[in-house]
Amino acid sequence: MDSLKQDLKKQIIEQLNLEDLSVEDIADDALLFNDQGLGLDSIDALELIVLLEKYHGIQLTNPEEGKEAFKSINTMAEYINKRKAA
Amino acid sequence: MGVCITGIGVVSAIGMSAGENLNALREGKTGIGPLHYLRGTKASLAGEVKVSNDDLRKALNVRTEYVSRTSLLGLQAAREAWGDNKRSGVIRTGIISATSVGGMDRSEVFYKDYLAQNNPDYKLLTSHDSGSTTERIARELGITGYINTLSTACSSGVNAIMLGARLILQGALDRVLVGGSDALSGFTIDGFRSLMIYDDQWCRPFDESRAGLNLGEGAGFLLLEGEKSLELTGNTPICNVSGWANAADAYHQTASSPDGKGATLAIGNAIRRAGIGLDEISYVNAHGTGTKNNDHSESVALRNVFGDRIPPFSSTKAFTGHTLAAAGAIEAVFSVLAIRNNLIFPNLNYHNPIVETGLVPATQLGTAVEVNAVLSNSFGFGGNNSSLVLTKYA
Amino acid sequence: MHKPALYLSAASTISHQPTFRNPGFSVALGPVEASSVLINPDYKAYIEAGLLRRMSKILRMSVACAKDCITQAGIEQPDAIVVGTGLGCLQDTEKFLNTSLSVEGLLPPTSFIQSTHNTMAGQISLSISNHGYNMTHTQNTLSFEHALLDASMLLREGDRNVLVGAADEHIDILNDIAVRLEAELSFEVTAPLTSGASFFILSTENQGDSKVALADVYTCGGTENGQEEIDAFLDRNGMQAGDIDLALYAGAPVPGVGRNLDYLSLAGIYPTASAFALHYAMDLLGTNSDVKNVLICNALRKSNLGLTLLKAVEA
Repeated sequence: MDSLKQDLKKQIIEQLNLEDLSVEDIADDALLFNDQGLGLDSIDALELIVLLEKYHGIQLTNPEEGKEAFKSINTMAEYINKRKAA
Repeated sequence: MGVCITGIGVVSAIGMSAGENLNALREGKTGIGPLHYLRGTKASLAGEVKVSNDDLRKALNVRTEYVSRTSLLGLQAAREAWGDNKRSGVIRTGIISATSVGGMDRSEVFYKDYLAQNNPDYKLLTSHDSGSTTERIARELGITGYINTLSTACSSGVNAIMLGARLILQGALDRVLVGGSDALSGFTIDGFRSLMIYDDQWCRPFDESRAGLNLGEGAGFLLLEGEKSLELTGNTPICNVSGWANAADAYHQTASSPDGKGATLAIGNAIRRAGIGLDEISYVNAHGTGTKNNDHSESVALRNVFGDRIPPFSSTKAFTGHTLAAAGAIEAVFSVLAIRNNLIFPNLNYHNPIVETGLVPATQLGTAVEVNAVLSNSFGFGGNNSSLVLTKYA
Repeated sequence: MHKPALYLSAASTISHQPTFRNPGFSVALGPVEASSVLINPDYKAYIEAGLLRRMSKILRMSVACAKDCITQAGIEQPDAIVVGTGLGCLQDTEKFLNTSLSVEGLLPPTSFIQSTHNTMAGQISLSISNHGYNMTHTQNTLSFEHALLDASMLLREGDRNVLVGAADEHIDILNDIAVRLEAELSFEVTAPLTSGASFFILSTENQGDSKVALADVYTCGGTENGQEEIDAFLDRNGMQAGDIDLALYAGAPVPGVGRNLDYLSLAGIYPTASAFALHYAMDLLGTNSDVKNVLICNALRKSNLGLTLLKAVEA
């Protein structure tokens, strides 16, 4: 689980061009779409959907579905594990 | 007298001329369907013009094969709008076209071979830049001098009409052919799919269940003339270009603001510029792409401007698909047709109002009212919002 | 029709030359080297990190120059934003074209979103929260002149300050294309292909220290006789070639003027390099009291002629 979270952080930094951030800067429970967190927007949400497919083989066709899954690194990791277990 | 429209031309998925388009609009017949000419894309439905490039070239007598479909469609509509008008040494004539993809339909053929190192034909790139689309049309029509292209994504077509009207009012030109053209391409189809706003079903503008747009292709052109030109050509004006406005939403790179700020400014300012009352707008040809975001934001903007007295409105994109930079020009031609024939066009595929706004578009062909003034909206990426007011010639 | 003069009250250029925030750069400027690269300022000083991370070269250049101009002019907001670009956002266009043709699965949308020609104007409006007129002209080598003409019209319609500029970015494939299509594109590759962005504030009133007035701008597409067009343009402005102290040209020198200078040798070649020439002229007019009237004669593409007439503002 922890290695998945580390991987996710690396992938997010690359996919979203978060050049100024390193893995250590992203807390597991930081709110990705909140200005106090990473301050991501709706374009990033689409990029995260691409990321899920590209790195984790998970297809998410409804952007609305991503809202819950993309709250934080924790929720993303949980979502990936749940989808993979299903 | 202001700025008059004396000629119109249109090509879209529902026809190769203004007459054919009008028939389909009257009959409620959509042009959206599976793609036949553009192969290898992931779109299940699109508003394709039902003619091949070869047949277009032959019909238009364009000899080179290094010409984009965007130029060919534009030329087809521009020729119809230009009619049998003559070049003139006295009437200063210009052309403004709008395009978002330019010659991308040809460039992507080149780039595929380029990536595969399969002897790519570099000449295909001579039609890539958007400006060359307009230069080609100008050359075929014999227009020199003021030749310009606007590219503001999906609002481009309205902006071309607006700029043409301003050039005439400022005395820079006497007559100007204005419009827009865009061909379908794998690039744009993939682009809207990547944004997850390309509906694999029929697009359903202003419907609660809407889930995105269907792309289309085509071109629309209008011949605008000022007083001096009219005196010399003796052409009969059909309509006036009375109001226009462009405003930036400045909210998001692609999405429209939930409070419809930019759209509200554009609509309000265009009507103010036309100098008519809100209740004098007979019909609104909405942008209405069928995306969750646009139709909601546009509904809010209509409510902001008109309050509870929103005029009959509809989106014609369920007929043509979203033709990007051509949309504003095609829909301006449709607005002229609405005024000339006193018609309100139906919004196809509509069943239930959007819950948050509750707006109900016209769903049947309206023939019982006099249509004196039409508001046409076009909103694009980058928060680019434009509105146009056309009125019966007076 | 009599056209009242308009004032250029700020200018900002990012290019392969030391033009950015460097008043007086024109004095010692030499030809642009083939090995030169874009001289980037610290973009973080001008652009919010959240927006910057997605921005391609052309977007960074444009937004930084736009913001610099607004600061220089000391205005809150321009009434309108007008941009010219010959080839638009090539970097993102090529990137999305590449993924679209080579990736089977879902495609990342960012490069598509930023491939449209109006991304610069849109990003500027977003960066400064501007709700005014927002326009993008793309008429290959005349894109900037068309933007300038639109801006001039807006000022005559009642606007007071308009942000007007141009930008084009170089991508590697252009070198290859330029060589293979030299005949078709009807221009000679006499200088390196470069990137550049120049933005200006054009105003109805002299804000105090404006040294340059835009007397007139004119475009002509599909022209066969450039010289006749130049003579007629000068004539409309009550001038002759002899009244022009300096002609900055692309294509062929202008006969009969005081001095000719090929601006492509300074800027390098890109479709809107005439915007670089305008900034160069402004800088020169601000430092050299001998130069009063400057004509920018843009025939980078032979069939397209752009003419811009500048005059020194009398102190």
